[in-house]
Amino acid sequence: MTEWLAIAGAAVATYLTRSLPLAATFRPSDRVRGYLEDLPISIIAALAGAGLLAPQQRLAFGPEIVAAPLVVAVAWWRRNLLLAVIAGVVVVAVLRRIPA
Amino acid sequence: MPFGVLAREAGLDAVQTSVMSLVVLAGAAQFASIELFRSAAGPLLVVVTTLLINLRHLLMAASLRPYFADRPLPQRLGLAFVLTDEAFAMGAGWYRRGGRGVAYYAGFGITLWIGWTAGTVIGAVGGGGLPDPRSLGMDFAITALFMAIVVVGIKRPRDVVIALAAAVIAGLLRGAGLALVAVVIAGALAPLAARLGRVR
Repeated sequence: MTEWLAIAGAAVATYLTRSLPLAATFRPSDRVRGYLEDLPISIIAALAGAGLLAPQQRLAFGPEIVAAPLVVAVAWWRRNLLLAVIAGVVVVAVLRRIPA
Repeated sequence: MPFGVLAREAGLDAVQTSVMSLVVLAGAAQFASIELFRSAAGPLLVVVTTLLINLRHLLMAASLRPYFADRPLPQRLGLAFVLTDEAFAMGAGWYRRGGRGVAYYAGFGITLWIGWTAGTVIGAVGGGGLPDPRSLGMDFAITALFMAIVVVGIKRPRDVVIALAAAVIAGLLRGAGLALVAVVIAGALAPLAARLGRVR
């Protein structure tokens, strides 16, 4: 029973964080609008940085960081998300097979 | 699938595990929750932890708002339900590249919802026996995807400054044990850093 309570509560909490800004009606000022326009790249980069610099929840110089420049280069020159991801995954997989 | 397997190991039954993915739809928060279930934490701690981890969605929803503004409220509330990191990254990246409308975002959001739930059911019912995704480098795929979306979305020098600041702050916070709030803090602060530096 407590599990169901926790699951229901987690669902409500999650949905609130996702829906409140979309449910409210507000007219942002230019300053706020400028900030909101900067947010997407900031948040996506934060997600990337967290996974890159601390993949196991602590700072580590691992295969991920070695593969990162390649992912950036492929994304920059080919403008192709899938190609960049495949290149990164292959490099990380290969590096992990090499004993340290 | 890994969530389904781990949730069963933590003591949830298959129905609870599957319903959780169906109604919560938040990978990081769900993994944290099963760690709490494992240590017999109460529902309140699960809910508060989930709230903290998902605070970043407030920022995501706020930044998507201009693109959804012309949609009626019920539709916006539906779009909000499938607002995961991945759907946000794909949708926001699409809008930065000049995309319009909600079909691209909604398509990803709904597909990810179905995929996440179906994968959980398979993991919860079928159990282990899967190859280790780490040995295949698959755990890096999502990080690489986020990186590629950022790179392709760069339009001004200021975007580079914001992205580097956000990535470094988030990495350091997560490395320092603040994984719960690393992304929301870094994501909120980095644009201010670029503003302070007066980068255009």
